[in-house]
Amino acid sequence: MSDALFWYGCNMTRHAEIIRLGQRMLAAVGVGASPIGGPGACCGSPKESTPRIAEGMANRTMERFGAWASGVRSAQGGAAEGGEHRSRESAADRGVRSAQGGAAEGGEHRSRESAAAPQAPPRVITWCPSCHMNLDDFMGRTKEKGFDHRHLCEALWEGREALAPLLRHPVRARFLVDRHIGFHAEVPVNDIIPALLALIPGAEHLDHPYRGGSYMCFGLANVPGALADHQRALLAALRETGADTLVTIFHSCHRELVGLEKNHGIRVVNWVHLLAEAMGWAYQDDYKAWRNAEDPLAAIGPERVAAAGEVAVKKLVLPELARPRPV
Amino acid sequence: MVAHPDWSALRAAETARMLAACTRCGRCAEVCPMLPYAEGAQGAPAPALVEGVLEVLAGGEGSAAARGWIAACTRSGACNAACPEAVNPRLMLRLAKWRANETGALPKRDAAEAMSRVKAFARLGFSATEQEEWL
Ligand code: SF4
Repeated sequence: MSDALFWYGCNMTRHAEIIRLGQRMLAAVGVGASPIGGPGACCGSPKESTPRIAEGMANRTMERFGAWASGVRSAQGGAAEGGEHRSRESAADRGVRSAQGGAAEGGEHRSRESAAAPQAPPRVITWCPSCHMNLDDFMGRTKEKGFDHRHLCEALWEGREALAPLLRHPVRARFLVDRHIGFHAEVPVNDIIPALLALIPGAEHLDHPYRGGSYMCFGLANVPGALADHQRALLAALRETGADTLVTIFHSCHRELVGLEKNHGIRVVNWVHLLAEAMGWAYQDDYKAWRNAEDPLAAIGPERVAAAGEVAVKKLVLPELARPRPV
Repeated sequence: MVAHPDWSALRAAETARMLAACTRCGRCAEVCPMLPYAEGAQGAPAPALVEGVLEVLAGGEGSAAARGWIAACTRSGACNAACPEAVNPRLMLRLAKWRANETGALPKRDAAEAMSRVKAFARLGFSATEQEEWL
């Protein structure tokens, strides 16, 4: 039983390689984490138009995580007190004492605390900001948690002393990060991610004050006009800074922005991809290849289509891959 | 001990707290980056927008402008930083949307195929072992 879960959420099934790379990076910084997600580990967000159903899904997830956490504690000999204490440290406290100057203080503080505790508490490492906020706002306020939670970027930032020496392969990229206003108060992603990427030799972060609405592109995609405006603002910021690479933070941003690669002369990568390249790890961004292919069905290939079910692929996958580009 | 026995109790407690704590000053609406996209909300005074949101939160219809703002909310949380009363307007608008979905004041988002799509992508991208272990 691993001491951590990597809770990737549900819509991340589109980006299997990011899950694999995330798990491998966690292992590289000493965190053994088992990926978990999909409908069986849902925070309820997709069904929140009917809160009663969302609550049922979230409760099942909390029960599943609770059973896992008590298994970890039994294996540790009941030693993992203190997780709740640390998880209540405010976002402001652990904020960006953070990524800019003094960046690491939160992590140092916690690791000293961990050293005093007999065992680290079971930890859920999140990816999706919707899941993370639902855990904060609803799930953890209505069910006993019994585990600590951190976002993947925080876990990697805490492990940066182990991570940095692995980033040996220069990556030539002048990058701009697609940053949003939201979620940063919960996890200072807008500072931590550029700081992690700044560890990559050859990569240059080009700062820009623009921040999109919402906390990831998913929200904007559901409001007429908002995603197109966001993409236009990002393209303007890329031009203004001279960036050649757009870095996405979350899966829904990646999903909405990879299409820009086709017609705008830029490269679009997720932050995890960029770290992987610096580690010399190969990966394939299937979603991007499919989204930008002239014929997505042919790009997926007949074998994979058959294995996934041709009817389902044609009904559920293709319309998404072939949807119009906002700009 | 958890703070609330279930989501209904949490929502009831938060709703009561918000209705009491909010002064209708309108700062949350003034800083909202989504207001330009909110149908019918252009030109509406910020305090009136908030009043409408609170009406929806309490189970009423609210104004069309308030419903437009609720529908356009994408949880940027810019409002939370601006609110002088620590109301948590981001959660206020989210709970108002839930209430509006329940009363019919706003239509529900169609998420019927969301999970089937999640599973289809998993079958495309995950190995058989990954499907077994990760889902
Ligand atoms: S939620 Fe806060 S900012 Fe918005 S009207 Fe009420 S008190 Fe003012």
